[in-house]
Amino acid sequence: MDWEQILPLVPQALWESFYMVAATTFFAYVIGLPLGLILVVTAKDGIHPMRTFNMVLGAVVNFLRSVPFILLLFFLNPFTRLVMGTTVGSVATIVPLTISAFPFVARMVESSAKEVDRGVIEASLSMGASNWQIITKVLLPEAKPGLINGAALSATTILGYSAMASINGGGGLGAIAINYGHYRSDYAVEFVMIVVIVLFVQVIQELGTRGSRLSDRRIK
Amino acid sequence: MALIEIRNLTKTFGSGPAAVTALDDVSLDIEAGEIFGVIGLSGAGKSTLVRCINLLERPSSGSVVVSGADMTRLSARELREARRNIGMIFQGFNLLMQRTALENVRFPLELSHVPKAEADERARSLLRTVGLEGREGAYPSQLSGGMKQRVAIARALAPNPKVLLCDEATSALDPKTTESILELLKELNRSLGVTVVVITHEMRVVERICSRVAIIAESRIAEEGSVEEVFLHPRTEAAKRLVLPSRSGKLEGFSESEGAGSIDECRGELIRLAFDGSTTDRPVIADMILSCGAPVSIVYADTRSIEGRLYGHTVLQLPGDADTAEKMKRWLRDQQISFTKEAQ
Repeated sequence: MDWEQILPLVPQALWESFYMVAATTFFAYVIGLPLGLILVVTAKDGIHPMRTFNMVLGAVVNFLRSVPFILLLFFLNPFTRLVMGTTVGSVATIVPLTISAFPFVARMVESSAKEVDRGVIEASLSMGASNWQIITKVLLPEAKPGLINGAALSATTILGYSAMASINGGGGLGAIAINYGHYRSDYAVEFVMIVVIVLFVQVIQELGTRGSRLSDRRIK
Repeated sequence: MALIEIRNLTKTFGSGPAAVTALDDVSLDIEAGEIFGVIGLSGAGKSTLVRCINLLERPSSGSVVVSGADMTRLSARELREARRNIGMIFQGFNLLMQRTALENVRFPLELSHVPKAEADERARSLLRTVGLEGREGAYPSQLSGGMKQRVAIARALAPNPKVLLCDEATSALDPKTTESILELLKELNRSLGVTVVVITHEMRVVERICSRVAIIAESRIAEEGSVEEVFLHPRTEAAKRLVLPSRSGKLEGFSESEGAGSIDECRGELIRLAFDGSTTDRPVIADMILSCGAPVSIVYADTRSIEGRLYGHTVLQLPGDADTAEKMKRWLRDQQISFTKEAQ
């Protein structure tokens, strides 16, 4: 075990993990948030039912969700190279991470938005709200606590995936655990990195829970 | 022309053999400025009826004309505009839980892009009108059921609608709160001239505030007319079932052994007195007993005094002695209290 060699790498790895998770979560929401809302709006009991479209979209999302990340990661290498010029490094890893996370995010958003009371949507319709106004002024604000919780859960899942990605040349905390711990059979390093990652997950989870609770006006 | 004209409205849910007819050829006129009640048992179709007025439910056939515009023929945009003229409140209040009372009332004004300062001003004044001054910043979870419904009423009235639809608006409230909400609706009807359509399964709601009522049963309008007319002289079976709850089969709480049976003199015919408000609130039955010199048995009574006048029904068992019974009937006729013979 060579702590003098490894410890200086940790702050850099922490930063890499942080921006992989942050950037992936951001891009996954850019795609997944509208997608989740479309799934809710076009559902059979939604404000603009589109049966076939909803079924097809749901099937596509399920398909992408079903592909194991480790396989998707390798499979997407040509695409990642095309977009980023390389498949190696934390920045390049954002591409497969985003593609694997956005269907998850879409389902997350869908389930939060579905929690909004049907009666409230009806009341808004009765007041002459357009579908767009219902999305922006009812669904999103009313689902906010659930959305914040969902974002935290998404981020922790992405952190887990990002560790897996280090097998394909990704960086971050997982890379130290694998390259310096696993490949050198150094369990102490592996264990320490696991602890750091678990703490990281706890921090994200705690922020999500608190943010959700603080934003929720139903329980005061 | 009536403010709301419903013509041959039919609504079916589903299709084929599983289709359910919720409304069957319903026609109704609701006049501007009145408080109109629609009463029926659950599943009778009354909720579907009110939801067809603002097209939350699209009729299968027939027309719904509100202020001269056929709602069923409007484009999506025109329908949104028309809906701003029709406020609605619900059994479950349906407030936005993440918005304060003030923000809830402001909500419909935001939808029609009223400038924020103006919207705030109007929301404040409406909350004052419904008696919630000082609670502007409260979230729905911090308010009682009655207060939530007051917020919902203020919200429904914010765009200054011509009509206010109330879908079982007091059914989730306790009797005292119900009373205060009904009083508020009556007051708003008087002061703003807003036409109110009340959907309910509770007789007392209709009695309390409505001027006219339609009884809906098995997807059809069974009877329609002034509240007095329908409640005191129901013509159809459906109306009688609703209005005269003890009518079906044996009188409730009445049996030979324990009811009138204990008073030997009271073995005569049953009569039903109907109080339509023309009698002042005075001890009618006690007066009758005193002036006729014989006791009667009260088998069923559901009367109340509203603004000093007596409304409702009382079923009496007259004495077995035909002469005394005749004397009592004559006394009632003299007092101009209408009664009918009740089946035993």
